[in-house]
Amino acid sequence: MPVPMPDINLIALLPEILILLVAMGVLLLTAWSRETTQPLLGLVAMAGVALAGGILLIQTGMTTTTFGGLFVLDPFASAMKLLMLVATLLPLLMSWDYLARHRLDIGEYFVLTLFALLGGMLMASSGDFITLYLGLELMSLSIYVLAAFNRDDPKSNEAGLKYFVLGSMASGLLLYGISLIYGGAGGTGFAAVAQAMGEGGGHAPGIGLRLGVVLVLAGMAFKIAAAPFHMWAPDVYQGAPTSVTAFMAAMPKIAGFAAIYRVLLEPFGPMQSQWGPILQFLAVASLAVGALAAIAQTNIKRMLAYSSIGHVGYALIGLASGTELGFRSVLIYLAIYIFMNLGTFALILVVNNAGVGDEINDYRGLAKKRPLLAFLMAIFMFAMAGIPPLAGFIGKFYVFMAAVKAGMIGLAVTGVLFSAVGAYYYLRVVQRMYFEEAETAFRMEVGLLSRLVIAVSTLAVLYWGLLPGGLIDWAEASIRPLL
Amino acid sequence: MLENYFPVLVLLAIAFGLGIVILAASYLAGIKRPNAVKRSQYECGFDPLTRIRLQFDVRYYLLAILFVVFDIEAAFLFPWAVAFRDIGFLGFVEMMLFLFILLVGYAYAWKKGALEWE
Repeated sequence: MPVPMPDINLIALLPEILILLVAMGVLLLTAWSRETTQPLLGLVAMAGVALAGGILLIQTGMTTTTFGGLFVLDPFASAMKLLMLVATLLPLLMSWDYLARHRLDIGEYFVLTLFALLGGMLMASSGDFITLYLGLELMSLSIYVLAAFNRDDPKSNEAGLKYFVLGSMASGLLLYGISLIYGGAGGTGFAAVAQAMGEGGGHAPGIGLRLGVVLVLAGMAFKIAAAPFHMWAPDVYQGAPTSVTAFMAAMPKIAGFAAIYRVLLEPFGPMQSQWGPILQFLAVASLAVGALAAIAQTNIKRMLAYSSIGHVGYALIGLASGTELGFRSVLIYLAIYIFMNLGTFALILVVNNAGVGDEINDYRGLAKKRPLLAFLMAIFMFAMAGIPPLAGFIGKFYVFMAAVKAGMIGLAVTGVLFSAVGAYYYLRVVQRMYFEEAETAFRMEVGLLSRLVIAVSTLAVLYWGLLPGGLIDWAEASIRPLL
Repeated sequence: MLENYFPVLVLLAIAFGLGIVILAASYLAGIKRPNAVKRSQYECGFDPLTRIRLQFDVRYYLLAILFVVFDIEAAFLFPWAVAFRDIGFLGFVEMMLFLFILLVGYAYAWKKGALEWE
């Protein structure tokens, strides 16, 4: 008896197919090329990412479901994938000098980056828990290896192992949750699960489904490093090579949020009364951990790890509000976040080229020796702290407005308070740069590619701070078809 | 709202409780009559030749990983072969794509010398 074959629309998967082919090609070229030509493979990878971005732009507005519902292409998926491509391309560009200096610029680095990106893109397009899980694992496994990429550095190895062990645990939770949902709903497709969840007419469904929701959310919260599932982040961010930290702080977060959006709005949509409070708890816990624990940090990568936990908290406020405005505000927040964060990391990588360490005290007196770099760093710090007229303020403003409009005044007030606490440790970096004496000369070249990334990030932070209209319209157009 | 999640708490308590009970029961109820032979490490019934904490050659690990990859490949090939007539040409193409992707990894591993023992 012939088995009915699912419909297959390869056009919808074109960006993913391209990334896969480029990754496989670079993998083969890595094995067959001489050591001196390896860095050029980075260019091939970047070209692939850029080309995939071009295809995505053409695809914008396209809505289709293929592979029997496993893969969904809609404006939301396109928007998230575009953010992911930016969050992959910029770290690749800015880590050019860093990788060369640390002899990490070998083909495998680019292959793993591309596979991580591919996994993230699949997550954004998943229409089934199986696709979601496969994408998540592809992304996570690649990043575990990337975290341990500097083999001669024990800290990098430690970071990779820690991330792997804890990440496997989170994958286990997620998978257990998915299996419970499968047991309760009789399917893993988002549509089937949504139907099963909706049968109670807004009442809580069976215990299996409820447990599944909790476990799936816990697994996802781990991937975006939301408290109380954040323990891995500081150690991994600190230990991993800085170029990997920059990538890790941007791309997987977008992918994680894309997956959370998909799961909350499609299969768990009928259960908003159930997951709303869970997200509120995650948001408040992340804000508290992000703001309070960062104060005690002396290492700038560790501080940025806590800062990213805090940023996840703000974004979760938007999701927790559960309104259209809330969902839109998260998209705005994420777009601004990646530019603020990547700009900061680009500057850290540049300063690192002078042979300076990662301690915050190593930035003392930067303003006297390299005034422009210090000024740009100050811009990013102010943006992260959410001070107008920079883009960070717009992101926070929309998130808090969504919470207030949804009647969650307490949540918004908590966010504002922790934002004030958070400003302290961002401004501490500025204080070190401007009001203390330099110990080193900060003699370093600023590579052309780094300049490009820093310029783009600065422009984004300044432009969206003053004229956020385009960004807001983009977020609205991307999110509307999902609701 | 929160009481809906009471069963989750119960499950958590049972999971932890069961772990403790199993460990405690075997510790308390087990018969312990140790002697020198029982306490020594097990090495295929021989007298142990070396200490237990020896370093493994990383090459074993590499081989194990490669074995798992191709073991899984075989696990996919069996049901595919059984259903071969029913899934038509598309099924054939899908499997060839899968094999091709694995082949790329295999070629990489081979060229990098992962299959050579020396």
